[in-house]
Amino acid sequence: MSKFTKEMVDSYAEKLLIGLTEEENAMVLSEFDVIDKDIDIVNTIEGIENVEVMTHALDNMQIKELREDIAGVTPDISDLLFNAKNKIGREIEVPKVVGNDEV
Amino acid sequence: MMKYNYLTIEQLHQKLINKEISVEELVNESKQLAKDLQEKCNVFDYMIENPEIKEVNDNLLSGIPYGVKANYSTKGILSTASSNTLKDYVPFFDATSIVNLNKANAIIAQKTAMDEFGMGGTGTTARTGIIKNPWDHTRMCAGSSAGSAASVAYGVYPYALGSDSGDSIRKPAAYCGVVGYKPTYGMISRYGLFAYASSLDHCGVFTRSVKDAAIVVDNMKGLDPKDMTTWDSSNINLYESINGDIKNKKLCYIKEICDINNYPNATDELKKHLENFHNVIDKVRKDNIIIDEISVDEKLLATVASVYNIIAFAEATSNMSNLTGIIFGPAGSGASVTEQMKDHRTKGFSPLIKRRFVIGSYVLQRENQDRYFKNAQRVRRLIVEKWKNIFKDYDAIILPVSSGPAKKFDDKSIIDGPTKILEEHLQIGNFGGFPSITIPCGFVNDLPVGLNITGNIFDDANVLNIAYAIESKMEYKNQIVKEVK
Repeated sequence: MSKFTKEMVDSYAEKLLIGLTEEENAMVLSEFDVIDKDIDIVNTIEGIENVEVMTHALDNMQIKELREDIAGVTPDISDLLFNAKNKIGREIEVPKVVGNDEV
Repeated sequence: MMKYNYLTIEQLHQKLINKEISVEELVNESKQLAKDLQEKCNVFDYMIENPEIKEVNDNLLSGIPYGVKANYSTKGILSTASSNTLKDYVPFFDATSIVNLNKANAIIAQKTAMDEFGMGGTGTTARTGIIKNPWDHTRMCAGSSAGSAASVAYGVYPYALGSDSGDSIRKPAAYCGVVGYKPTYGMISRYGLFAYASSLDHCGVFTRSVKDAAIVVDNMKGLDPKDMTTWDSSNINLYESINGDIKNKKLCYIKEICDINNYPNATDELKKHLENFHNVIDKVRKDNIIIDEISVDEKLLATVASVYNIIAFAEATSNMSNLTGIIFGPAGSGASVTEQMKDHRTKGFSPLIKRRFVIGSYVLQRENQDRYFKNAQRVRRLIVEKWKNIFKDYDAIILPVSSGPAKKFDDKSIIDGPTKILEEHLQIGNFGGFPSITIPCGFVNDLPVGLNITGNIFDDANVLNIAYAIESKMEYKNQIVKEVK
């Protein structure tokens, strides 16, 4: 029997601020089972716990030079505001956070 | 009648220099082909009505149109990563690789559709709908760079940009019968490429010949202060390095992946695909090239797909936590900020992405990290070390791509066991940042199939030269789609 449950999947989805349908939830569960089975294989690799984790494609890469501080061109404010739906002058209107009961 | 869509970049450049054609004619032909292909296969995320005409100069790419995958930031041009969460997003800056191509006077012709944010290997999760394979409309292009692969195969332009976190350039290239090249990690800046899984993401290109791939990447690459993972490749000129001489080169293929006896339930397509691969190998061997069969621990190979999934999903969960509808994209509705964000994310993301986020979040939890995320990172090291050991004896590994030609949309066959590694082995190229190129190598049931050549990091010139030499022994260079259905 799988150690993963529908409730557990919903709980993680909620933390991610994502709503899942019943069908999506079921698919996550089946994918979890496949990954868990493969991780069982990993755990049979002798000495796996002593292998250093590899966090990056070129993990022996060394940064040889520190870049100089060079002043760049500041983007035009109208370019920056282009994607904002609600704006007043140079300011973007965002949902109220302070004073909200939930916060 | 189309006149230019079958030409290489060098040939197009020569015609432009000789004034046998104008930039306007070239762009117009490209637009016409794009419209035709869009009606048939739905491959573009955003169609540019009036591409900016640029002057021809000494640069081989000047005045020639190209396609850009929808996850590259292009100033003033819609850039959605094929996601509803960014459906109206118009960036205020260009990705560094686009800046570099602008310096070459290259012309952005279209933004190509893709699996949302690069997640998915089918070309079926774009906000604009399913992307069909131009060779056979009942089949997929693979993904995620489906639109770029399909449009190059159709001859809309000689090249298009892609990105590759698992096999997102190299598998669609095989399914569409074109060349797909992902250089060593950090050769091309990722600044302005929408992040999916940062430790695996690569920029790259689709072309119809190896030499064209070299030309394009020479113009895209370079050290970038905006991407600290880039490295100085100024001493590498891929185009000039190609001479086709691969005498004394040693290649190998992996028995566990290439031996038909490993597949007791092999389909007709798989049998033909592997038979074709071995025929190509034999043909290359006739020129005194050494190609050995080697063996790799099946247990290690069996873990590749899950190692990829765990690392990629975890990194994606983190990278995309900023997609809330507050800073970018259409705002969600709800009484509170939290409700608004949840509404935006629930409606904006496709089911596939949502599932990947949940798995990514789970493996990152403190109590689960060691069993899943860190173990995946440990196996990543073991696999990469194994590959680097192979590269001590061999210039490159040559392998078939996928288990046959492009899959049908309604294909319900289960991929597991040995077939899984045949489908997913290209992910190893991302684990180690290895230069890796797919070239077309024949046909199975009238559909193109490909082979892949992967070498050690920083050895891009060698890998391309080997690919060029093998390409020259076959007749699929610069091929254009011949529709089957």
